[in-house]
Amino acid sequence: MARMRRILGNRNLFIGLLFILPYFILWLFFMIAPIVYGFYISLHEWAPFGGSTFIGFDNYLSLFRTERFWISLQNTFVYSLWVIPLIIGLGLAFALLLHRVKLRGSGFIEAAFFFPYLLNVSVISIVWVFVLDPDVGIFPYYARLVGLDPPVFLNDPVWVIPVIAFVTAWWLSGYRMVVFRAGLQAIPDELYESAALDGAGPLRTFWSLTLPLIKPTLLFAAVITLVGGMRTFGQVIIMTNGGPGTSSEVLALYMYRLAFDFLDFGQAAAVGFILFAIIFVLSLLLFRALGFDSELR
Amino acid sequence: MMPGKAARTALKYVLYYGLALIWLVPVFWMASTAIKPTPEVMSFTPRWIPSEVTFDHMLEILDRRPFLTWMLNSFWVALGATVVTVLTTTFAAYGFARVRWPGRNLVFFIFLSAIFIPWEINAIPLFFIARELDLLNTYAGVFLPISAMPISLFLLRQFFISIPTELEDAARMDGCGHLRILRHVIVPVSLPAYGALMIFIFIFSWNEFFWSLIALQRADMQTLPIGLKTLVGADDIQYDLMMAASFMASLPALIVFLILRRQVIAGVSMAGVRR
Repeated sequence: MARMRRILGNRNLFIGLLFILPYFILWLFFMIAPIVYGFYISLHEWAPFGGSTFIGFDNYLSLFRTERFWISLQNTFVYSLWVIPLIIGLGLAFALLLHRVKLRGSGFIEAAFFFPYLLNVSVISIVWVFVLDPDVGIFPYYARLVGLDPPVFLNDPVWVIPVIAFVTAWWLSGYRMVVFRAGLQAIPDELYESAALDGAGPLRTFWSLTLPLIKPTLLFAAVITLVGGMRTFGQVIIMTNGGPGTSSEVLALYMYRLAFDFLDFGQAAAVGFILFAIIFVLSLLLFRALGFDSELR
Repeated sequence: MMPGKAARTALKYVLYYGLALIWLVPVFWMASTAIKPTPEVMSFTPRWIPSEVTFDHMLEILDRRPFLTWMLNSFWVALGATVVTVLTTTFAAYGFARVRWPGRNLVFFIFLSAIFIPWEINAIPLFFIARELDLLNTYAGVFLPISAMPISLFLLRQFFISIPTELEDAARMDGCGHLRILRHVIVPVSLPAYGALMIFIFIFSWNEFFWSLIALQRADMQTLPIGLKTLVGADDIQYDLMMAASFMASLPALIVFLILRRQVIAGVSMAGVRR
């Protein structure tokens, strides 16, 4: 009781709460409420203008019996498994290329790798659809010129997901490069000097000095990229609209179609909640397992 | 025989600059297509340098689509997101970092756990919430959820916490209250963090796609990414118009980047280390 009174009588408590109030309102309405409300909607045969019927977990059960749901779930994971190594690999390669290099105009090189990140998702998708066009695209043209027989990348069930992942890596790996460069620059020069004194070559220096030191940064980036990959939407709807067939339909796109093509908001909300649960649990688990939870304090 | 030092240096330059140029090939190709005559666009052999420069495609886009409206809408959304984020997270970050009250770390941690919520994925419930609040087809409807992202609060609070207390103590001795300390002590020394935060939020909202697609259904409210999407999926593919529109949509970013390259990369680096 006395403790309670001491806490509630704390003038700073009142002041502190007042300071966080405006942000708290935003956070409550636009971060938390949608989860709770989304779960509520998912338990209904939802009629957008009133008159919804409570049906328990039927939306979930019927999703689990729908093949298209499983296909899009699988596509989402396959895409994520492609995009993580591509983004991290390219980002790291660029960062290493620019690390401790004496080069006139290295600022320009960095800017060139980074620039695609500043284009919006529609622009990169439209441009790559053109670049990959089987008839007038430059990529197939030059591939044929060197004697290859390129598939119709965006209309081929095998190629379509890796290609979208590659386009995404082209778009976003410059961002990762910038982040990795910050990590690399935090490594003291003395370590490299003593490695050089020990006679370590570039490869050995990388494996036994650079890599261990930036491993946390890499793992962190991998988790973030996985989470980002799970919610991919824009590239897919513009480049292939989920096609050919449903070969590139990811969960976010399936959800969008359920809601706005089939007007089945209840099932769409169920897909959204499943996606939320997967991402939330996965990232919490990975953060804990990799020991990042302390960084967030 | 070992290659000479000069030869190796030359090789290095060719490698680095070649790689950078290849990386930007799609961008060059977009720009080249935007200004070349239509027959050369649909040619089966690529023509890098247009035989003549034409602005017809861009004029046609401006004529047939509300392109400038898209751009303006994008601008207002990004501006709104930036202003509201800076205002609300400044107060909240101060409340968490510089006011000592019981339970503040626990509350902050709860706020922060929402960092793992993929909020755009909640577009369906968000759609109905926004409808109740009369926020559909408004700028605020798009940017308020962006301003609610906990990453901004996290970034600013981390910076505020690292500020030494001496300045603040001196100000308090002089009888300054919280608001004056915030305004005259904390904010002025946090300008780098604000720069990073504003760049991050501006780029994020300039690019936001999923939620905008759902929240902005009215043609005169659409932002650039949403407007550009309407150019795709027509029966006859008009690459010249698509490239002209993409090129124009990319110009603001290109110009800003050419002027503020260092600041943008430094800001992204600072905001991105934790993301």
